[in-house]
Amino acid sequence: MPRLLTTYFGEIDFADASVFQFPHGLPGFETEHAFVFLRQPHTEPLMFMQSLTDPKLCFILLPILVADPRYRVNFDKEDIAELKLEPGRQPRIGEDILCAAILRAGDAEHPDPTVNLMAPVVVNLKEKIGMQVIQPESGYSHREPLFPRLETLPCS
Amino acid sequence: MLVMRRRAGESFMIGEHIEIEVLEMTGSRVKLGIVAPEEFVIVRKEARITRDENLTAARKVDPTAITALLHRLAR
Repeated sequence: MPRLLTTYFGEIDFADASVFQFPHGLPGFETEHAFVFLRQPHTEPLMFMQSLTDPKLCFILLPILVADPRYRVNFDKEDIAELKLEPGRQPRIGEDILCAAILRAGDAEHPDPTVNLMAPVVVNLKEKIGMQVIQPESGYSHREPLFPRLETLPCS
Repeated sequence: MLVMRRRAGESFMIGEHIEIEVLEMTGSRVKLGIVAPEEFVIVRKEARITRDENLTAARKVDPTAITALLHRLAR
């Protein structure tokens, strides 16, 4: 099994089947074409999107439905084609696609963590290809506060 | 902010070398054609915002900050 040096978990074994291709990379990281998504019991529900070529590049993600349980995908047909998803319908989160928001942990300038719900990372689970889907008309911000959103949800 | 009304087929110039033409309007969408010298990088604003946000998000997070985050998520 191939080994991989990671940003947060040291050296790990990974299966080739767990590698996702990003043909265009991500904005700002256009030359990064392959990532693995790491989840660990002690870091649930976070996901770590580790570059296969740069051990120092790892995005921390939150599954989109954890970030916002009411989130609905509404991709346009170009994005659906790019992701090689079935045309003519919206993909289902968890069945057809993995959909997660890049998390920005707090820093001195912005102490509260935010998630980019305007541009989720989406991967086609069957074809193993992914992209960051930028949706300016979604009504979501690239910097949605994480905790106010979670903490103001009504109890059910 | 300068505000200008244009119809489809009309254009305007920014400086001597950049021309922006309104090609088509459908519903709430406008299709623009842009002619500019090669050295001008033209990107959609949301792509620029996403790039900037990605560059910040890619910085390594201190393990203690991750632990703190997990505590708040578990609440």
